[in-house]
Amino acid sequence: MSTTITHSPVAHETPSSDQHTISAVQRIANVAKLHLVNRGAVLWLPLFIMSVIWVSSMLIWWIVSVLIERAGGSPDGEGPVIMGGANSFLVIYMLVVAVQAINLTFPFAQGYSVTRRDFYLGSALTFLGLSLFYAVLMSGLAWLEAATGGWGLNGYMFGLGMLGIVELAPTFYVYLLALLLFFFVGAAVAAMYVRWRAWGVVGFFTALGFLVIGLIALATFTDNWGVVGEWLVANGAVGVALWSLIVTAAAGVAGFFILRHATPRA
Amino acid sequence: MNAAIEVSNLSRHFGDIRAVDNVSFTVTEGGIYGLLGRNGAGKTTLMQLLTAQDFATSGTIKIFGESPVENASVLQHISFIKESQKYPDDFKVKHVLKSAPWFFRNWDADFANSLVSDFRLPTDRRIKKLSRGQLSAVGVIVGLASRAPLTFFDEPYLGLDAVARQLFYDRLLEDYSQHPRTVVLSTHLIDEVSNLLEHVIVIDDGRIIVDESAESLRGTAATVAGTKTAVDAFATGRRVLHRENVGGLASVTVDALSPTDRAAAAKAGLELSPVSLQQLIVRLTNTSEKEFEQSA
Amino acid sequence: MHVDESRPIFLQLAEQIENDIISGALPEESQVPSTNEYAAFHRINPATAGKGVNVLVDAGILYKKRGIGMFVSAGARTVIVGTRREQFHTDYIEPLLGEAAKLGIDREQLISMIRKEPTS
Repeated sequence: MSTTITHSPVAHETPSSDQHTISAVQRIANVAKLHLVNRGAVLWLPLFIMSVIWVSSMLIWWIVSVLIERAGGSPDGEGPVIMGGANSFLVIYMLVVAVQAINLTFPFAQGYSVTRRDFYLGSALTFLGLSLFYAVLMSGLAWLEAATGGWGLNGYMFGLGMLGIVELAPTFYVYLLALLLFFFVGAAVAAMYVRWRAWGVVGFFTALGFLVIGLIALATFTDNWGVVGEWLVANGAVGVALWSLIVTAAAGVAGFFILRHATPRA
Repeated sequence: MNAAIEVSNLSRHFGDIRAVDNVSFTVTEGGIYGLLGRNGAGKTTLMQLLTAQDFATSGTIKIFGESPVENASVLQHISFIKESQKYPDDFKVKHVLKSAPWFFRNWDADFANSLVSDFRLPTDRRIKKLSRGQLSAVGVIVGLASRAPLTFFDEPYLGLDAVARQLFYDRLLEDYSQHPRTVVLSTHLIDEVSNLLEHVIVIDDGRIIVDESAESLRGTAATVAGTKTAVDAFATGRRVLHRENVGGLASVTVDALSPTDRAAAAKAGLELSPVSLQQLIVRLTNTSEKEFEQSA
Repeated sequence: MHVDESRPIFLQLAEQIENDIISGALPEESQVPSTNEYAAFHRINPATAGKGVNVLVDAGILYKKRGIGMFVSAGARTVIVGTRREQFHTDYIEPLLGEAAKLGIDREQLISMIRKEPTS
């Protein structure tokens, strides 16, 4: 039987009794782990949905090609058939992941006493990691798709042929840049929501809308659409994707500063 | 004794609303504190400020001697799961148990697991699908098992049944004995926890109206009841915290009575009854400032 | 121990321990439960329990054995009973006489009422 009489016992839990503090690198890595602790949401669910889209599209395309053959035509003779779906789904899903990360995981991480700085850097690390992972996966599938002649059915879903991109490396870059863009734009918009609620987001999109209308008006009244077209052609898909880095970086920096003073509310 | 929390002239305004209004107080390291007040009195805002989840309009906060704002070296010693805590979408109880140790150095996984079975918490269930009581249990488990040097419990027993509430008090006292730390219990249900508290801070309308040891608050007030004339005569010259009239009868809550006062009251045919901490605080927070000053 | 809202808990705990010593539940030279055990048992703040125990240590009713625990001092019971007897007058006799006077019961009647009570 142990007895403590006075109320100041030997060992209080005080900051100084925590022998080791957690290093900044470890703290940021912990935030990334927190984002990934529920694998279902960031990995299994999008992969599953993507598989469903792919399998069902392929089935439909297979049925269609059988019908064409019966009618005496040859599906192979029609040139490659490009089916969208999987890639746009994935990129938009990652936008949702980013929004959830800021809107829900941020208030949760605050409950774990994580600083906004560590949270944002950890989230950025997660976004980068997920972008790399999915860019490798998607470009890998695109390569496999090309190597198997559109899965033996001349049907293409992962390749970026519609953007005129065939090679493996540019496919990878475009996926990576698109994913990064959607992650960081999603995070910045969600940060606006957390900090200024719905009106902040509405205000931002209103301002953005006017800006875009203004630019369209500018191009139209100055008869510069030709220049815009030339610029797009000159840069190519990869070039345009590279320019998106400016937007991604701007969103990344803005998201950081917006979240820095955001308060999670009930 | 070092200060765990030092607050001076702290205010937090939302437009015209003064959620926290020029508040100053100190919490010394080690001890179980009560942060009491009605719903909407400013308890949660105050705790959000102390844990750097919110930003002060003015004033200073020091936690273990440093400002907590964006200060990881201070924040990693704090545990604060809000009553209205948000969780990531589709998060399950097991995800909380898995991730919490990454953020709390003192996390005791065995203790957490034993609490999970004590509270009969289904670990594979989504947080969204938990009952209010189970949700409170998650907060209680993180608060206890984190063993953070500064732990806040925000309305910890909302939705918990009597058995689970007793379980919480028992586990808290048990673990606090083994691992003393600074605990702040925030609640508007005072009677149940009043015996656990060493020190009481009462916030009302954004201001601190009581900052005293629980023991000295005990017996600081008494209720005197009897005929209106006798009560009025007795109450003259005393601070009246509360008054009720029913027909020719009256009941007043007054400051602590000395034995002589008690004898006098008994002689005047008045009935005396003790005032619990909860009653005292209800009296204090119901009474407007003006009434206070008038009867003082 | 039923916690009385009107008085400090540490005094109530000290009285409770004294009662246990008087009744023999805690014999002299026996070990008393620790502060933490009292706190857990009565569901009260450990610091408050510590204060209650310390009151008795200061009064010489309990003593500490370093590293082992708290014990009831030899002769503690006599001391407590002595003090309680002194208090008996103010705590019981005075209110009894006051109430009796109010009801018009004189001294003689009161004494005969007490005599009639069966001894326990």
